[in-house]
Amino acid sequence: MKIELNAVPEEIMRAVEILSQYCQENKIPEKIIFSLKLALEECGSNIINHSLKKDKDKKISVILKITDNLITVELYDQGPEFDPTKMNLNDSRKMIGERTVGGWGLELVRQNIDEMSYLRENNTNILTLKKYLFEIV
Amino acid sequence: MKLVIQILQSIGNTDNAGVTVRLAGSLDTSTAPELENQLQSIFSQPQKDLVFDLADLRFISSAGLRVFAIARKVIKEGGGETHFINMQPQIQAVFEIIKSLPGVTVFRDMPEFDAYLTARQRSFTDRAE
Repeated sequence: MKIELNAVPEEIMRAVEILSQYCQENKIPEKIIFSLKLALEECGSNIINHSLKKDKDKKISVILKITDNLITVELYDQGPEFDPTKMNLNDSRKMIGERTVGGWGLELVRQNIDEMSYLRENNTNILTLKKYLFEIV
Repeated sequence: MKLVIQILQSIGNTDNAGVTVRLAGSLDTSTAPELENQLQSIFSQPQKDLVFDLADLRFISSAGLRVFAIARKVIKEGGGETHFINMQPQIQAVFEIIKSLPGVTVFRDMPEFDAYLTARQRSFTDRAE
């Protein structure tokens, strides 16, 4: 499933609602849906607020995929290059202790998602979030 | 999901002055600015107690936590305390990940909070005697 969004906060919450419905239709457990909603909200709002500066003429694409044991959320934007996976935990925690709360969102994503990866391709940021439905042994 | 904000000017079953803010729905990047805006009327005068009743809050992100952090700071600077009651498990899990609000108290429900207020009042009275 592909969702096209304008870069405003209301639009990322529209994507979160679509994600929620899509997961419910696929019988995904509520706890996992909450984690995915939170991760999409945090990553999407980070792109909108900091990368695209709430410019409603700019776009974000979100692609949702559900396979047997894996849910994948991909976010595409053409803002400045920024790799959130390179922000280390110490930086994040330092930010939590200071006035800014910018690090909270990233910490929430890390705690709710199993894998996060980043790619810069054709002037596009591609952020991929993965959540497994059950543990792989 | 929208956010419904209800501001009540007295707390629980005690005579203590304070404000309760009931939140229902989703406190996120699109709704947090409205809560911050509505809290300004509460911030305009010192509050002894500010209680957030989260019984019907279904979703929260860092944008919502940020508003709570601001509230805690403002109320503390005025000599008051910030409390949370009826926190749902998924909301509590988000709080626990961030450990974002040191110094605030979380109560299971309104009776537990009333008991706290009563004990605090008794402690204050005992010290005065």
